Amino acid sequence: MIRKFFEWVLSPMGRIAVVITVMSLFSLAAYGVYQTQQPPEQPIQFTHKLHVGLGIQCLYCHPGALRGPSPGLPTINKCWGCHQQIAKTQTSPLLKPMVDAMNAGVGFMWVPVAQVPDFVHFTHRPHVAAGLNCENCHGDMTKVTIAENPQVMNMGWCLNCHKSRTEDNFQNNPTGDAGVSAQLEKKRTKLTDCGTCHY
Amino acid sequence: MTVDLNLVGAKGAIAEAAAGKWGMTIDQDICTGCQACVAACAMENNIAFVGEEDAGYGRTQHWIRIERFWDGEYPHVQATPFQPMLCQQCGHAPCEPVCPVFATPHSPAEDLNLQVYNRCVGTRYCANNCPYQVRSFNWRDYHTVPELGNMVNGALIFPLHNQLNPDVTVRRRGVMEKCTFCIQRIHKAQDKAKSEGREVEDGEFTTACAQACPASAITFGRVDHPESLVSQLAHQERGVKHLEELNTLPRVTYLKEG
Repeated sequence: MIRKFFEWVLSPMGRIAVVITVMSLFSLAAYGVYQTQQPPEQPIQFTHKLHVGLGIQCLYCHPGALRGPSPGLPTINKCWGCHQQIAKTQTSPLLKPMVDAMNAGVGFMWVPVAQVPDFVHFTHRPHVAAGLNCENCHGDMTKVTIAENPQVMNMGWCLNCHKSRTEDNFQNNPTGDAGVSAQLEKKRTKLTDCGTCHY
Repeated sequence: MTVDLNLVGAKGAIAEAAAGKWGMTIDQDICTGCQACVAACAMENNIAFVGEEDAGYGRTQHWIRIERFWDGEYPHVQATPFQPMLCQQCGHAPCEPVCPVFATPHSPAEDLNLQVYNRCVGTRYCANNCPYQVRSFNWRDYHTVPELGNMVNGALIFPLHNQLNPDVTVRRRGVMEKCTFCIQRIHKAQDKAKSEGREVEDGEFTTACAQACPASAITFGRVDHPESLVSQLAHQERGVKHLEELNTLPRVTYLKEG
């Protein structure tokens, strides 16, 4: 039985069948990976590109990033605050879901894109205070419609930045000052401590 | 971090090297055993209710518990003072070196014993090596047992999930957990202090158990600051550390028989 199967595999038809099977399995896997990399379905086709292009600050809609862990996703009232003054709001088909939701008195259920697991406790405030810009982690929002993650947010990625920014090198300590070195060492201890993020 | 080899090994020298950062005092003379700390801790730290059956197996999950012992021979028995027992955050912890995956490291920044839930593989070696018996293991996914949920329109709704603390991980099945000295509050206070450009003040924040204690028997703070309330209490004459002979360097000082 098994011998017969191997003989069939070695025959021209069998080889073709094997190639077709391998290729379809590979494309299925590739499709699966592709699916996980797609930005999620949002309640409205929100164009980050357009809003950032108009000069609206990230912190206008995501003000929590300045103060605490969660930057917050805007409620429909915040959208309406500007959009009620724009004539196009009532006519545009793309904005119809927002007008309908506002008239019905229900909010948007945004799907968060950049999320960390439950066992990671990330806080935006110190990162903003350290002088990081939003696009350092979230990518250039002037280029995307629906927000998407430019990179995999895993622990190695976090630690790489934490380590490089606390290394005692020319970039962080140009004068070789002993006080700055000690400060960097202290910062490094804190920023590479498991308990800083996991508790 | 450099290790002074002259300080390693000798008992007193280790004590000298490990001053500690955060510490606690528990005054057993004024503790009434009301268990408010136990309830407050469970609320703050998302501690699961294990149910009757698992409690019968001794799988209860409490990060702090009130211990009471009997002194003397029957009929002349006498109850000992109430003794709240929690993770002592040992400076020289027996749980730490036995973990095969380094899921319970010692925090160099906060000087606490950490438990990293996503790294823990559930060998339970640390709990077996803990002389204070304060670690508890998640034998099931206690937060999603179907008995705790309500069936609403064919979907299981867990009303108790609304009271979970978002700052603390909900532990899943197969990981060990223990008291963290409310590290989420420590981080919050430090973050707030840093954003205001100052140091964390003594008494600015406290742990959930200390906050809930109606008799103020529990005090929490910096033990390395000599002027802080907790370090003054810890240096009182009636201060004792539990199982000190094991040289675990506990950060919790019990005050008894003043």
